Amino acid sequence: MKIAITGGKGGTGKSTISTSLAVELAAGENKVLLVDADVECPDDHIILSTNRKKVQDVCTILPILNQNKCLKCGDCSEICKENAIVFIKDRYPFIVTGQCNGCGACILACSSKALEKGQQEIGAIYQGKSKKSNQISSENLLLIWGEIEIGCEATALVVNATREYAENIASDYDYVLIDTAAGTHCNVISAMIGVDLALAVTEPTPLGKHDLELILQLLQLMEVETQIIVNKSDIGDLNLIDDVSRNKNVPIIQKIPYEREILKKHSRGQPVTHNNIKKLSNAITAKTVGGRH
Amino acid sequence: MKTITILSGKGGAGKSTLTASLSVMLANSNKIVSIDCDADAPNLALVLGLEEEDFDSWESITTGEKVEMDLEKLETLKLRSNSQYLKKCVDACNFSAITWNQEEDIPVLNELLCVGCGACQLACPEIFTLKKVENARIGVGKTQYGFPIVSGQLEIGESGSGKVVNEIRNNAFNIAEKIQADYIIMDSAAGIGCPVIASLTGSDYVILVTEPTSVAFWDLKRAIELVDHFNIPCGAVINRWGINKDLTYQLQDYFRNQQIPLLGMIPYDIRFVEALVNLKPAVVYEPKFKPIFKEIMDNCLSDMNDIPL
Repeated sequence: MKIAITGGKGGTGKSTISTSLAVELAAGENKVLLVDADVECPDDHIILSTNRKKVQDVCTILPILNQNKCLKCGDCSEICKENAIVFIKDRYPFIVTGQCNGCGACILACSSKALEKGQQEIGAIYQGKSKKSNQISSENLLLIWGEIEIGCEATALVVNATREYAENIASDYDYVLIDTAAGTHCNVISAMIGVDLALAVTEPTPLGKHDLELILQLLQLMEVETQIIVNKSDIGDLNLIDDVSRNKNVPIIQKIPYEREILKKHSRGQPVTHNNIKKLSNAITAKTVGGRH
Repeated sequence: MKTITILSGKGGAGKSTLTASLSVMLANSNKIVSIDCDADAPNLALVLGLEEEDFDSWESITTGEKVEMDLEKLETLKLRSNSQYLKKCVDACNFSAITWNQEEDIPVLNELLCVGCGACQLACPEIFTLKKVENARIGVGKTQYGFPIVSGQLEIGESGSGKVVNEIRNNAFNIAEKIQADYIIMDSAAGIGCPVIASLTGSDYVILVTEPTSVAFWDLKRAIELVDHFNIPCGAVINRWGINKDLTYQLQDYFRNQQIPLLGMIPYDIRFVEALVNLKPAVVYEPKFKPIFKEIMDNCLSDMNDIPL
């Protein structure tokens, strides 16, 4: 079963809940693959204090010009939606590497085959097992995460590669948990392709409510079964989230209070343990949530 | 006119809270424009007490295209050509938006993943057409604190948030020129990817917001690398410093070593959450917070003015 942990707003507790849910599920003798798809700021490896082993480079296409074949027609510049190829009449086209998103359209558009498929590195995929063996049965839990090169804009491509890497090994695991980035755009969409269930983590503030509504709209569009988790449920105004749950007809499956102990563990970068997360884990294994699949 | 961008890497570190209070404080003696560059999950207006319907105007914009697949033509093409030809569009798409359906022997398009590059159209022109899409809206409003706000909202399922941020920024710059603003205060998205990079374009100064948690520390280092990459001067603010004193000291040491000025520290206080729930900037909801943000503002302005143009 594949479960996405998302939420729209940043800092609502996606990584906290992903890691502790993974630990709970693994403690229950389930094989768990946790995928950190927040490739701009992947944090789960800090929380689980895992080792860090690079398993794959993530590259994308970079067009390389062979001047001997170039007819100086400008078709490549014409087709590029990113304005990454500058063409001045009677000169060779100039490729602005930083602007190129690696779509490869220019290579297809070049009739004289003067553009060749080169590669640019945009990130890497890592895997880690927890080093603190007293806390987590590391045999049952594997973390993989993507990390984008700093300054690179192709976030969705690194997420795609991370998701595809996870898909290839998913059959060895009972549960695949995907921790997404904040927001609602392409990198979050890519992370949630093919999941059976989404848990939308929010907080009871007008900001949490606003961004929850956005992510629920996206999940509806993607036709993904969704449940809401309210984190920090005892600060702010819970009615805000109750209203969204009622109006959108998406149930709140669990509430996690803002407790000193949780905050302390979170600040130290340790997985949080809480009875309500245990309950959530039990509900998932008992198939009382996401039972449609 | 100078542009100050608030950045954090980690989400929920307090960007919008800081942006809102800093805007209110700056507006006391300056002309400012505030911008929300988090088109994915825009929150700044809410913190400043403005709901969507309170804006003066919303305008739809188009910054990109998406491809459409003609299913009828696909059927005819399927009969006329072999699957090898149709598979070319799957290979052409570098964004995993076109996959091959083995059972039906046809390509399947996932519009949500399409970035509108047009590579598939070059591979199989018979079945694909590019269509312009209205992928975002830009809102202009006036806050009750006397300064304008420009905010954006990406339409659900649309892509191109970096380009949308460029539009939001250009829109705000025009307003700033018109009113001859002294400062533009920009609230950026979480992360360090394309919308954040787009907000950094044209920034004169960056305020990095962090909190004493090991995850925020890790994200901060990545954010600093990004800011250094673009060579923009920056200062730092530690938010919720009371939740972990050891890490707060570590952060202070880190900033000292990196020669990044610490502009100020914001304590952990439940009143900040109450301010959010009441849709008020912290300095308005709780006047005792004013000195904290005044210190941040003063330090930011003096550090920024020390930088030779």
